Amino acid sequence: MASKLQAFWNHPAGPKTIHFWAPTFKWGISIANVADFAKPPEKISYPQQVAVACTGVIWSRYSMVITPKNWNLFSVNVAMAGTGLYQLSRKIRKDYFSDQKDDVASLEG
Amino acid sequence: MSTAVKAFLNSPVGPKTTHFWGPVANWGFVLAGLVDMNKPPEMISGNMTAAMCVYSGLFMRFAWMVQPRNYLLLACHASNESVQLYQMSRWARAQGYLEKKEPEAQQ
Repeated sequence: MASKLQAFWNHPAGPKTIHFWAPTFKWGISIANVADFAKPPEKISYPQQVAVACTGVIWSRYSMVITPKNWNLFSVNVAMAGTGLYQLSRKIRKDYFSDQKDDVASLEG
Repeated sequence: MSTAVKAFLNSPVGPKTTHFWGPVANWGFVLAGLVDMNKPPEMISGNMTAAMCVYSGLFMRFAWMVQPRNYLLLACHASNESVQLYQMSRWARAQGYLEKKEPEAQQ
């Protein structure tokens, strides 16, 4: 166990390096998005969430081809793509599908 | 000129690789921030903007240290840091955090 901790500590992408801490703080973006799940869809920014989702997808690949390979960066970007796509789905549902419901309701009214 | 273009296309950090497209995707954050500057401050998410400020600060260092070194990514995160800090100041001002305190005597 001690040797495993030591291996982790001294890893080229371990906690002594920026390769560990940059992805770790990038989780803040996904956490911020999760916190914003509670906000109304009107406040979601299309450009920002498209950037979050696309960056998450492309960076999942980038994480695997850099030296050192970075699984932390990979996992944070998968999560980022997921939260970005969910936020976009909330906004799109609100903007493009609830109008139909409103129209139906107004027709009924 | 054609040799320069060929050198770029075949570079180990060129457009045939994700070392190029990763930063290109990240420029989306900068563009998104610029677009959102035209929106009222109430639309800014304090959570997301604060996370972006920390994120880009750290990734400037990451871009410098990763192999192959990624200057495109470094420039991208420096730009994003500037945009997000500006957005953060707009958000903070709208929330009232940056208002000058009225002197006690005037209240």
